[in-house]
Amino acid sequence: MKNFYRKVAFGLGSDDKTPSDPLKWATNQLNDIPEFSWKGKILPEKELRKYYRDYVYGDRKVLRKKFKNDKEGYKREKNKLRHVTGQKFWWNLELCIRHSEALKSKTPVLAKLWYFWGNHFAISEKDFLAQYTTGAYQREIIRANMNQNFEKMVQEATVAWTMIHHLDNNDNVGPKSQEAQWAKEKGRKVGVNENHARELLELHTVSPECGYTQEDVIQMAYVMSGWRPNWGKKRLETGDVHFNGEYHQPGTKRILGKKYKSGRKSLSEVITDLVNHPSCREFIAKKLCRYFITDNPTKEMMEPIIKAWEKSDGFLPDVHKAAVEVAFNYSEKYNKFQNPENWLLIMSKMSDVELVPTPKLMDLYTLGLKPTHEQRSLEYLLRELGHHPYLAKQPNGWSDVSDDWMSPELLIRRLVYAKEAYFKKNRKSQTNEFYEEMIEKNYDNPNEILKTINQQGDLSNKHVILFNLPETLKS
Amino acid sequence: MKISRRNFLKGSTATLFLAGFNFPLFANTNKKKNLVLIMLRGGMDGLCAVPIIGDKNFEKQRKDLILDQTIKLNSDFALHPKLKNFHNLWQKNLGAVVHATNIPYTKRSHFDGQNLMETGGHIPYAIKTGWLGRGMKLAELKGDGLALALPMPLLLRGIPSNDNFYPSKKRLPRTELLQLLKSIYAEKSEHDLANMMEIIANRSMMSSSGTSMSRKNSSLALKAGLELKKINGPRVAVFEVDGFDTHAAQGGVNGSHSDSLIEMDSIFKSLEKGLGSEIENTLVLTLTEFGRTIEQNGGRGTEHGYGSAIFMAGGLLKKSQVYTDWPGLKRKELFEGRDLNSTIDARSVYASAMSSVFDIDFKRIQKEVFWGDKLQNLSDKLFKV
Repeated sequence: MKNFYRKVAFGLGSDDKTPSDPLKWATNQLNDIPEFSWKGKILPEKELRKYYRDYVYGDRKVLRKKFKNDKEGYKREKNKLRHVTGQKFWWNLELCIRHSEALKSKTPVLAKLWYFWGNHFAISEKDFLAQYTTGAYQREIIRANMNQNFEKMVQEATVAWTMIHHLDNNDNVGPKSQEAQWAKEKGRKVGVNENHARELLELHTVSPECGYTQEDVIQMAYVMSGWRPNWGKKRLETGDVHFNGEYHQPGTKRILGKKYKSGRKSLSEVITDLVNHPSCREFIAKKLCRYFITDNPTKEMMEPIIKAWEKSDGFLPDVHKAAVEVAFNYSEKYNKFQNPENWLLIMSKMSDVELVPTPKLMDLYTLGLKPTHEQRSLEYLLRELGHHPYLAKQPNGWSDVSDDWMSPELLIRRLVYAKEAYFKKNRKSQTNEFYEEMIEKNYDNPNEILKTINQQGDLSNKHVILFNLPETLKS
Repeated sequence: MKISRRNFLKGSTATLFLAGFNFPLFANTNKKKNLVLIMLRGGMDGLCAVPIIGDKNFEKQRKDLILDQTIKLNSDFALHPKLKNFHNLWQKNLGAVVHATNIPYTKRSHFDGQNLMETGGHIPYAIKTGWLGRGMKLAELKGDGLALALPMPLLLRGIPSNDNFYPSKKRLPRTELLQLLKSIYAEKSEHDLANMMEIIANRSMMSSSGTSMSRKNSSLALKAGLELKKINGPRVAVFEVDGFDTHAAQGGVNGSHSDSLIEMDSIFKSLEKGLGSEIENTLVLTLTEFGRTIEQNGGRGTEHGYGSAIFMAGGLLKKSQVYTDWPGLKRKELFEGRDLNSTIDARSVYASAMSSVFDIDFKRIQKEVFWGDKLQNLSDKLFKV
């Protein structure tokens, strides 16, 4: 049963008391969205986007012209521009905020679900979004809506600037729109870009299981045409997302058999219908089970989650509670291989690894300078583990199937960084007594585990073994 | 356990001496042959990489994407001017192209498409193993796969104990600790973990001096070439190149599609260098989920399409050629009026390649790897048998 603490959260830390009612302990964390436990600076997405604007504008409109014939000069100045706009700093700050929720907050279960949703509405590696706005998007659009209906999360994520840019909807122009007309007169050709429309169907809501066709995708793209950043000469593509009717495809659209009038409201109407489609709740229920319980969720596992969804109209706290309860009920029978980031957080939480740099250290950062090695430690570490949450390769995010994380190279990383982590611990936690207590608290078979790790004399080696035991890798 | 061919070779040195006059023939037909797959993620534009010459339809629809100074391959097709290393191979009869080909997937989703290009199946996510892994299983090539990537690609799944290499900058724990973990895994029937720990403990590629290696595909390919060259090294390697999804700013010779093609080209070069003369016993193939629309879009990019091309390299090729059953680019000849059609099931090429490299009857591969799907045996046409 104690694997439940690792399954839906990150295990119990040295300050945590063993809950008398584990399920309640978990579900009580899911009602509200508390303030961030990170005590340092937190910047709004809009402000971070301005830094992104300065970088994009400075590079594209200034440096490329100025250094047209001077490759080296261009390189040098571009590096300066990176630091002036905090390119190597902001995403580290975001990771501090993110990981503090797992390690320092009173709601680690909420944090683990936050990571789930961030990955569901993934922003994959594209155009330096990761370095500037992905983290903030996950805070302001994803986490902030975790006490709302799923529909609200979809509505907001779909028109979030980072998502619109990520999936090219700024290039999506109705072929019969005013803009297309003007473009044609100027001899330019513009048209539909299906990317975002397809992912809204495939990844964010109903999934291919619902059986939509290529025509549905095109019609969806028509509905989405016109949702784009407010373009400006100085801000370029970084303006707020708005609906621009001049880019919108006129006429009625038909998606999954239903008609929608043209205009601004149609996107929101389609989303309402998509989130209420049975395939949507089945898809989400399956993904939640896969995240917490097993690679191959059964109908029985999914059912309580689907029921909770239907009863509450997709109210996320209720859906989350149902998922956590299913995870609890299956915790004896199933162990889920933990992805590298969650594994790192489990290790850090349980064994008191000082993973996250202090707010004081992070707030020392000055724009224009290269952040220090310590200030950049999280980003570096996650990349080394093969799992940076803002750098998924594709819009479908990081895999939640164990096989994708099983390889010699990925296991090597867990061995070498477990060892590194040990030396980041304070003296107090580098004792046999500390480990005995922690193992007692977090595992159902403490004696067996102690016997196993005691085959090594050195405590740092015991630490490496413990966090690479099947019991820890799979929780 | 059955004896794999490699084990058989290793274990039969004594008999080889006794075999006397048989030796040259035996050695010749039992040479270690290698198969390398390069996955081009995002949808490789076959018409940007290997454009057709003198097709007005094509030029009209791609005004801003037309390449200057392409390299002429034959009277019908040219090569992207930045693919210099591939052209080198071509000139030595070590490079070829299959054009207007794709896996039988027409729905234009990256994720479904990439899943199917790796599984070789028809329904996305329905098959949990890769066609290459299944082919290796048929050939009993356990422990012979090498992925040059951090996560293990689906393509190689289906046979246990594959290796992956993506250099870490840190030192491994002591062997004793690794052995202990391995025995714990075995005890707990965690066979996958035990297998992996076995590979890690025996890792020959881990640099013990702690000097770090570059993770660029070009240096990974050099390393892979050196490993493949070893008689007891891996026989299958898999690379990944990202960035082919150029909805915007695909550009011409210096555009974003070119950058990804150049990366692919650097793999050809480094593999050739690493393999040395063993390039003669190697076959390199590319794999992508779909091609791109003929017509450029509003962002001077292209949308997801259908037919694409396969690059092939190595001494196991019959000759330098563009092998195609060209469907044409007139509107009615296009797939759904917009994409280059696919007239050759790409899986026919891969099945034929496995048949030639792994020395397995084509029909067995067709039946056991691709569920008896209707595939053409192209081994005689494309590869040295």
